[in-house]
Amino acid sequence: MVRNRFEKTKGYVDYTLVFIILLLLGFGLIMVYSTSSYSASMSSTLHNNPAFYLNKQAFATVFGLGAMAVVALFPYHFWRRFAGAGYVVSVVLILLVLTPLGYEANGARRWLNLGISVQPAEIAKLAMILFLANLVCQLGNKIRTRNGFLLVLLSPAPICLMVWGITQNLSSAIIIFMIGYIMLFVASPEYRRFILITVAAIALAALVVVIIVHLADSGTLGYRGQRIRTWIDPEADATGKGFQTLQALYAIGSGGVFGKGIGQSTQKLGFLPEAQNDMIFSIICEELGLFGGICIIILFLLMLWRLMIIANNAPDEFGGLLVVGVMGHIAVQVILNVAVVTNVIPNTGISLPFISYGGSSVMFLLIEMGLVFSVARSITFTED
Amino acid sequence: MNFSKEVFPMNRPNNRPFNKKMQEKLVVLFLLVLLAFVGLSIKLISITRDNGERYKKQVLSQQQYESTIIPYKRGDILDSKGNKLATSEKVYNLIIDSKLMLRKEESLDATMSALSSCFPGFPESEIRSYVNNNPASQYYVALKQLTYDDIAGFIDLQNDTANNPDIAGVWFEEEYKRVYPNNTLACDVIGFTGKDNVGSYGLEQFYNDTLNGTNGREYGYLSEGETLERTVVSPVDGYNIVTTIDGNIQQIIEKYLYEFNEQYKNGARPGGNGANNVGCIIMDVNSGEILGMGSYPNYNLNDPRNTDALIGSRYVNDKGLIEYEANCITEENKAELLTDDAVTYQQLNYLWKNFCITNTYEPGSVAKPFTVAAGLESGKMSGNEYYTCNGQLHVADHDIKCHNYKIGGDGTLSVQEAIEQSCNVALMLMGRQIGKTTFLEYQEKFNFGYKTNIDLSGESRTATLVFNSNNMGETELATSTFGQGYNVTMIQMITAFSSLVNGGYYYEPHVVKRITAADGSTVRNISPRVLKQTVSAATSAKIIQYCNGVVVNGTGKTARPAGYAIGGKTGTAETVPRDKKNYVVSFMGYAPADNPQIAIYVVVDRPNVVFQDDAKYATRIVRSILTEVLPYLNIYMTEELSDKEREELDNLDITIKSSNMSEEEEEGEGEETENGEDGEVINANGGDITSSTAPTAEEMQSDDVLTAPLTGTLLNTETGAPLVEDTDNGPE
Repeated sequence: MVRNRFEKTKGYVDYTLVFIILLLLGFGLIMVYSTSSYSASMSSTLHNNPAFYLNKQAFATVFGLGAMAVVALFPYHFWRRFAGAGYVVSVVLILLVLTPLGYEANGARRWLNLGISVQPAEIAKLAMILFLANLVCQLGNKIRTRNGFLLVLLSPAPICLMVWGITQNLSSAIIIFMIGYIMLFVASPEYRRFILITVAAIALAALVVVIIVHLADSGTLGYRGQRIRTWIDPEADATGKGFQTLQALYAIGSGGVFGKGIGQSTQKLGFLPEAQNDMIFSIICEELGLFGGICIIILFLLMLWRLMIIANNAPDEFGGLLVVGVMGHIAVQVILNVAVVTNVIPNTGISLPFISYGGSSVMFLLIEMGLVFSVARSITFTED
Repeated sequence: MNFSKEVFPMNRPNNRPFNKKMQEKLVVLFLLVLLAFVGLSIKLISITRDNGERYKKQVLSQQQYESTIIPYKRGDILDSKGNKLATSEKVYNLIIDSKLMLRKEESLDATMSALSSCFPGFPESEIRSYVNNNPASQYYVALKQLTYDDIAGFIDLQNDTANNPDIAGVWFEEEYKRVYPNNTLACDVIGFTGKDNVGSYGLEQFYNDTLNGTNGREYGYLSEGETLERTVVSPVDGYNIVTTIDGNIQQIIEKYLYEFNEQYKNGARPGGNGANNVGCIIMDVNSGEILGMGSYPNYNLNDPRNTDALIGSRYVNDKGLIEYEANCITEENKAELLTDDAVTYQQLNYLWKNFCITNTYEPGSVAKPFTVAAGLESGKMSGNEYYTCNGQLHVADHDIKCHNYKIGGDGTLSVQEAIEQSCNVALMLMGRQIGKTTFLEYQEKFNFGYKTNIDLSGESRTATLVFNSNNMGETELATSTFGQGYNVTMIQMITAFSSLVNGGYYYEPHVVKRITAADGSTVRNISPRVLKQTVSAATSAKIIQYCNGVVVNGTGKTARPAGYAIGGKTGTAETVPRDKKNYVVSFMGYAPADNPQIAIYVVVDRPNVVFQDDAKYATRIVRSILTEVLPYLNIYMTEELSDKEREELDNLDITIKSSNMSEEEEEGEGEETENGEDGEVINANGGDITSSTAPTAEEMQSDDVLTAPLTGTLLNTETGAPLVEDTDNGPE
């Protein structure tokens, strides 16, 4: 991938990316309706309205597209002055969850009621991208030093620990950390350190798993230990902890190559918990088969490819790193989500970008895309 | 590479480019992501390839394609005005699914506390241990037949998933429950229905198939593409039946039957009801429609097995007959007498029977109009005859006495006077005139010995309880003329009597006039059916004339409601054994006198008094009932009201007691002759009833003479109970 050399033009719009985003959003709405209409129509608290989730998601999507357009029209440098402030705001918002402004849903206290309901973790992801892009730019060549490296590596850590500790949201904490790690990887010319860290992390994880497997008494394991046991052998506890994972696997397996047809899932009829949310990918596989599932993966791949092109052509380092952050965010979530539903990693709640139900998530993702478009608009082309 | 050193670039744009190294690493990153995507795709493919079939089966096996029954609604039973006598209400069974409840650790406690708070008396510890002991169970009925109001609170909690995320493993199964809004009203006519939608007794049994519908089904099946298809076959609700019963008339009847019981209960038989049984039928004489039919003791259709309803009843033995030696069932001895289920059900079965169509008895003097009608219609009598009664008549080897034997008989009587005074001797003489063959021919014409085929379950067959040409001798003919010796049911009597007073048309009696579908459309109209002509219009007119006389001049005066002219005939029949203590008293009448519209028949089976042989126990009930029913039917008063009657009518609504008292007063004025009314026939001691002295030699003698022929093959000599034989309980 080399920088294109075209005549200088400003106001570049990446229509391929626009198209992919709209395609994913539209497809997401269809799938949200497909997966949620049955359970929504069964719930009298939702007034038995089958389109309840669809309506909420459509509203968030339209709102998010508006926000994306606004952000895209702003020069992205405007936001740079808020990089530090964003970090602080993230911390404050996470702490606010502990106040009466925070509220609990689905058994976890991780939402804020600020007129509209917001997950501080979603804001923290965006803030972290902005903060790290700015930090790396400020560090300049110092990033090659060990201290510079560690500074970038560890600066997301306080936020991650808070997200994990306060909102009990390990998956978001991991995502935030991974975003930082990916941005550092791109920003740093190193390879050796990354390989070492990655290998060490994998070895540590393997060790933990081995210990847990060999612990005889499952009673002492606690919540996460149980999840790891379930991950290794979901059928051992098919009606309990392994239920959701197994049902997701059943859904994928029963779809076959071309699926049962859109709307024809049986697993969504009350068997698969969170069908419209974290587990939506398994329903996609059930209804549209391997073909549909892999098409979605390819769409995400195309999106990441467009993001890479934009980053590589970014007019400056800050813009490029912003796009890398967004790219990392999307890549990490897609990989982890698909890995969870296929039981490659232990079950943890991660939504599929643009497709899963969740207003906060789709809005902040679209704002991030707005930043990407803003960067793209500033690309200068030189004639070949 | 342009590495400008901008360490504090806060307000200045950083123009450092996204350098080559970064571009390179970004490509590496993209390739790593690509690798991950490829890896995940391979995993996806391998899941489908390796486990696809197994998972497909697993998914199908956890679907509920065993079919679910959607219950139909059993049809309503309505009165003639459309009021519900019986209906089915949707109720809910609370089902526990242990498997679901145990899926999450928190679920058991959360669900149990929610259930306990919503259902008072929820057996929490019992259910909790069931769930723990049967973790795989998915269907356990914890509570039955809850109304929607009962479960609404819990459903709200369950649906409020934001606040109660852990409630799981509870669902509600729908079914219908039979409900009788009026409890005891018309219990004998309606009958009751168990949970399995099988009706017992009355309309519920007779129209069981009509009332029942077809269950719907929800089932799944695998289509060719191995996808699960769900199909719902809707249930077909049962038909409703609209009866001829008028709820208001029925209420009036039952009110006075109850009042009678209140007045006479705990009399000669301690703890006993006002009578063994007291029944009343009101029929439209011009269609055979039953407007009201009731008896006492009754029972609550919503709780038919409640043994409290048995209190006051007489003990029934294992042959289904009243045990005259035993005490009445009382609050105190109930537990002692009802030793086991079999005994309890003996009692209940007797209680559940419809007295008006099931119990048989000797009709007594109410049969006299039939004898006269037979004579007139056959031409054996002209109606202008005169008969002389000097107190008794020698028949075969017996002297059969008239009720006024003591005062030397009734003297010379016209046919009308014979009916008015209920003279047995005159009737026996008529019997000789008519002859056995003609008499039996008319018994058959009047349908005695045959079922009326009323559309109610449980009508008795009386074929063996009437005489035929082989077993009817001179004595049997003589006693049959005044209604002793053979058995009838109330419905037989009133149906035949209606034909006597409506111009001779014998209508098949019926209770249902229309069958409608659940959507209200009429499925079938049941119109009046004339089965035969029993007598000519001329004979009918004469019988009306005679029976009017009974109320004006004769034994039926106390049956006349104030302001109305009615006709009818009293009856005081001795029961077997002929101990001169037990009687079935009755009044059968019609109104208005000049143009009969309705017939009424009240039978009091052994009133709970020392001296039972007084038809006034029946006539007073008739009077009370007609006093309310005739105005309700828009039949206008034709007679002048005396001041006393006016006062009585004014007071009627105030208290029942005061109306009784005034009735007693009137009786005081009434003739003494009414007191020994009707000859109890046979047995001689007519007029001796009030005497409590030892039987005279004469009496002893006549006893010897007379008991024998009457107890022949027709009556149950063991108990003297009104015979119940060959009761056909099956719906026809």
